[in-house]
Amino acid sequence: MRPSHQARTHRAASPWLFLLPGLAVIAVFDLYPFLTTVWHSFTDARTLLPGHWVGLRNFQDMLHDDQFWTALRNSTLYVALVVPCTVLLPLLLALLVQPRIRFVGFFRAAFYTPVLASVVVVALIWNWMLDDRGLVNGILHALGAGPVPFLGDGWLLLFSAMALTVWKGLGYYMVIYLAALANVPRELHEAASVDGAGAVRRFLSVTVPSVRSTMVLVGALSSVAAFKVFSEVFLMAGPTGGPAGADTTLVMLVERTGTGLSGRVGYASALSLVVFVITLALMLLVLRAGRGEDAP
Amino acid sequence: MPISRGTRSHKAVGAALPLFLAAAALTACGGNADGGSSADGKVAGDISFQTWNLRANYKDYFNGLIARFEKEYPDTKVRWIDQPADHYADKLSADAAGGTLPDVVNVSPDLAYPLAKAGVLVNLDKEPASTKYKDEYTPEAWQANEMPGLNGGYAFPWYLNTGPLFYNRALFAQAGLDPDKPPRTYDELFADANTMARHSGGRVATLAATPAIEDFGRYGVRLMNADATEFTYNEPRGVELLTRYKQLYDNGALDAQALTNGPEESGQKFLEQKVAMNPGSAHDLSNFKENAPTLYKNLGIADAPNNTGHPNMYVMGLGINNGSRHKPAAIAFAYFVTDRQNQESVAHKVAIFPSTRGSLDEPYWTKDDGTDEGRVRVAAAKILKGAVNYTPVVMSDEMKTVLQNQVALALQGRKSPKQALDDAVARGDELLKQG
Repeated sequence: MRPSHQARTHRAASPWLFLLPGLAVIAVFDLYPFLTTVWHSFTDARTLLPGHWVGLRNFQDMLHDDQFWTALRNSTLYVALVVPCTVLLPLLLALLVQPRIRFVGFFRAAFYTPVLASVVVVALIWNWMLDDRGLVNGILHALGAGPVPFLGDGWLLLFSAMALTVWKGLGYYMVIYLAALANVPRELHEAASVDGAGAVRRFLSVTVPSVRSTMVLVGALSSVAAFKVFSEVFLMAGPTGGPAGADTTLVMLVERTGTGLSGRVGYASALSLVVFVITLALMLLVLRAGRGEDAP
Repeated sequence: MPISRGTRSHKAVGAALPLFLAAAALTACGGNADGGSSADGKVAGDISFQTWNLRANYKDYFNGLIARFEKEYPDTKVRWIDQPADHYADKLSADAAGGTLPDVVNVSPDLAYPLAKAGVLVNLDKEPASTKYKDEYTPEAWQANEMPGLNGGYAFPWYLNTGPLFYNRALFAQAGLDPDKPPRTYDELFADANTMARHSGGRVATLAATPAIEDFGRYGVRLMNADATEFTYNEPRGVELLTRYKQLYDNGALDAQALTNGPEESGQKFLEQKVAMNPGSAHDLSNFKENAPTLYKNLGIADAPNNTGHPNMYVMGLGINNGSRHKPAAIAFAYFVTDRQNQESVAHKVAIFPSTRGSLDEPYWTKDDGTDEGRVRVAAAKILKGAVNYTPVVMSDEMKTVLQNQVALALQGRKSPKQALDDAVARGDELLKQG
């Protein structure tokens, strides 16, 4: 018997009714601000002054803004150097703590602890450790080396912030990998061992293909997080973005330009739009590179 | 089964939508205010009063103050809001843009300027209800809230502050310097800093921060033209100051992390006895006593050097929201909080200074009671009599960052001091013209 017209309407409307609260939240808190940002990016709006239409001027100004190019370079470098580490190192860590041996729970918890710690607290501790008279330079001094200007040199500061990002993210991605590894059949490893495969060969030929889709997911998540990095660099390099602004990232530039009572909202919106386009392209790129299914 | 064209496009939309929403959530940035009641009329109505990080320590004082005002004006009701120290400017901008700015707001001149420019604050010089009180404040304090190009004062002067230069007597002695003769001029400061660096093998720096705009002002550099439309701190005297700072940096007399240190980091380095001198205020004494007793025992206090005869001062004020529905009550309350009696009363509780005429001639600010606090208080009050607020009110945070970054480039040797200041002025002027 064919369902009545009313039943068909109910069936079609029901999913939308369930979705409505979520869609309303997205429309108010994501879509509306996004569309406003797009509009502002073509105006010279200030925080307290409504803007006028300026066409593409904000984007043209960006091309001549040294800080924009520095920020683009730093955010790109962040992705290029942090993402490989956050894809591979947590996988190795997960392999280390996967076996059910004594005290493994302690190590799993220990590796996860940085994830729980506040990034502000962690960055402060790292700043103390990397200070020119901090713990690290103290050890180097005792060994007859140093001091290394971790917090005084633009490049070293950026690399230090990257190290902090990797260290803090290890535990989070490790847990994702642990879940994926639990689904890899033990027989595959046993068969590979019988065929004479060593640990490295088994890792490359069994483990990696089996968790491929998880690696793509981790790659996508960490590349977006790395591209829009703010807290670590802001807390370690300060509001100026390191010496002479050398460590400014794109999101820091958006914050610096667009906030405060004299904020250049139009220009900051144009910067945000560039971040949006690059982030979208990055996600598509990672997902495209990771097409295909995990090995059975 | 082959996927039909329609299904494929639905799938593409289905895949793209979450991506679009996710990316949209990652960006997003937002961006605006207007007329209220007449300033003349009966003092009545419910008003809100916003302070800047004062509730934690002065809750009872403000509650008492409000109760006394409400008793004096029974038709009024004051709602007190206190905001945390961080991101206060962002809170003000959000409220001003959203039309929810409290009736009476705690502002410093640099915060008042953009609000006044946007028409959000009442021009106190144009309202008889407020102008009548003008002579009760020191001229310097009232002028600090006068905005260039806007013809008038936009906040009742509240409390003032200035700071001596604290120094570490032990570090001075270790470097062979006389702890009883701290530097009094810039020449002496630079000479002592170089001596300190040389004697300590570069391990002890004298200063922890690079020069900010007020340092250029104290050095005697003209910061802006008369109508505050162009920066002028790239004049030869400014280049001279930066050149001398470059020599300090090269000699190790500036902290290795001076290029990135903010006031908090500089204060922390002084607290940890890693640098020998740091500007501060009377407020810092209790911090030293509590958190660095060894430093406190060796603490020296000197006047911050200046070449102009006018030390720097920081001014707080109370602005009135132009959109207030009860302007007479808001003006009456702002005056009540900042009148002589109440300013002197609060300045007895905390290490700040009143901006009302004649207050600093009171014995509390002229007679040393023999305590460290008393010594700093009397010294600071003496300084304040000729002090000016060097920081131009039109200089936004972004312009300050531009200067700081160009100074850093000069200290690193990547630009000459002249080029760095020329570039900072050019960029600052460009930002000024953009409004």
